Amino acid sequence: MDAQSAAFVNELLTVINGRDDTRMIVEKFLATLRREFVFDNVAAYLQDENSGTLEIIYARAVGRAKNAEADAAWGEEIANRVLTQRQLLIQEPEHISPSENRVHQAYLLGLPLRTGRSVNGALVFVRFGGPVYQDEHIQMATLGAALLSILFERRAWKKMNDELGELRQQIQLQEDFVSTISHELRTPLGFIKGYSTSLLREDTSWDAETQKEFLTIIDEEADRLSLLIENVLESARLQSKTLPLRFQPLRLDAVLRDVTTRIRSRYKDMDVSLDLGSAPAIHADGVRIAQVFENLYTNAVKYAPGSPIFVGLKQVGQSLIVSFMDRGPGIPPESLPFIFERFYRVRTEKATGTGLGLYICKQIIEAHRGKIWAESTPGQGTTFFIELPINQNAIT
Amino acid sequence: MAKRILIVDDEPRYLRLLEANLRTEGYEVVTASDGAQAVDVFSNQPIDLVLMDVMMPKLDGFGATQRIREFSNTPIIILTAKGDEQDRVRGLDLGADDYLVKPFSATELLARVRAVLRRAQPAAEVGGQSRFFTHGNLKIDFARAEVWKGESPVSLSATEYRLLLQFAHHVGKIMSSEELLTSVWGPEYRSDKEILWVSIARLRQKLEDDAHSPKHIVTRSGLGYLMPPTEE
Repeated sequence: MDAQSAAFVNELLTVINGRDDTRMIVEKFLATLRREFVFDNVAAYLQDENSGTLEIIYARAVGRAKNAEADAAWGEEIANRVLTQRQLLIQEPEHISPSENRVHQAYLLGLPLRTGRSVNGALVFVRFGGPVYQDEHIQMATLGAALLSILFERRAWKKMNDELGELRQQIQLQEDFVSTISHELRTPLGFIKGYSTSLLREDTSWDAETQKEFLTIIDEEADRLSLLIENVLESARLQSKTLPLRFQPLRLDAVLRDVTTRIRSRYKDMDVSLDLGSAPAIHADGVRIAQVFENLYTNAVKYAPGSPIFVGLKQVGQSLIVSFMDRGPGIPPESLPFIFERFYRVRTEKATGTGLGLYICKQIIEAHRGKIWAESTPGQGTTFFIELPINQNAIT
Repeated sequence: MAKRILIVDDEPRYLRLLEANLRTEGYEVVTASDGAQAVDVFSNQPIDLVLMDVMMPKLDGFGATQRIREFSNTPIIILTAKGDEQDRVRGLDLGADDYLVKPFSATELLARVRAVLRRAQPAAEVGGQSRFFTHGNLKIDFARAEVWKGESPVSLSATEYRLLLQFAHHVGKIMSSEELLTSVWGPEYRSDKEILWVSIARLRQKLEDDAHSPKHIVTRSGLGYLMPPTEE
């Protein structure tokens, strides 16, 4: 090969390996090829994976038939023959009359497009009124078809790879869920087993205080296990949308007062300040919304013990905003982005949560087309915000 | 003297459970709540046995086991979840001596601990194992997987570090290319000498004062390489 040809092949390769999308690459590639190999029309066909029939994936009129539109030859018939005979085919006009329109005198060159060893498409060049295809033209066209085959094969690989990647991600998510849930269920079981067998040991005796400590742990872990099972079932129902929400006109200030009264009776020393502005009723499921508020209260008790809690309700534009503010130790910035994720827990000395509470809150609020988020400054406290749209006509 | 046991778990309630039961048997107990802390605690005092959880933040139980095995033979029992056969195999392959499946009963825990301690040499008698290794101006901190040349830290790739450990663990012994390739890269690389040459050349660039007359990793033509004993 002389240096000039090598440079040309290199140019073709550069185009094929370009970063454009496939269409643009084919476009540039054929324009480059046409400098050394003249044609009027070109069409690329690839076999459809499902039906097995040829599908046109690229066609361009660049020469004499530019304005002939669909009337001109596009070589579909020769493409089919290339596919069945798996080889290069040339077809020239049967009779040539100088008076006839050149567009009706098509010289066709059909080349197989291959994936590995199998032919799965055809590249067809058309010259109107000749000239006939010489050996060197055919070689150039063959090189072009080979390079395009590489491009199409690469495209097919990429598509398959993307699909595989998506599939793998789905499987991974599922596996993660199964492994997390079994770990989460086993942890309280492990404590119950470990502490009860400790108490059952016959070769040692525990003092009364230790016995009480162990029994308390067993009791708490049994509660955690049953809460966990309940939460897992509930969040699965929320996720699969099989937990029916009963939407009805609801005044959030009334719900907040109810929940607060209940919480105050449970945690006697809790210091709660309510600041409930006037707000219109919205359409919501009162039981579920109350569940969210209760969860935020118990979180505050758990993670900001002894801190006063400020609960606010106000209207901002077409939304109602509920806020729960505490002056606890705050959430570490590295944990903040994850607190609404399933099974995420900020580890503390006495963490007894299931890692599902806030996740369920988020699911409930999102089912109301609302948003829930948290802002926190370590050492100063945390505020949870819930935004619910006032106009929820879209919800049925 | 009471045996000292290091227990490693990120769940405070597991630490309490293990500690309470081990103390009734007269063991001394020290605790760590993640793998990195475990390696630190381990390397600062004589420990007779380690009870190591697998799933932990920072460095997990496998990583900590591997790190400890780089400078110590102290018995390690890993705590794994039921059904994770792969985890148990991996733990044993990394040098753990036994495993205990969660949930476990207190009596089983104590029986395993007794059995493993019976088989092991007391920490005081093992000797010759230290967290630090020095060779001339070269220093390795096994616990942190850090390498120093004089006062300056040296950044090594994982493979370079493993290769250096081979020399550090066998000072004065000539090791053949096959031996080094097998233990660092794996048996399928046994005859891939060029990859070893490149790696040794790079290690020398990083560690030696003069890579052309190396003091730490010396070539014995036709035989292999060695880290010569230091003259002291």
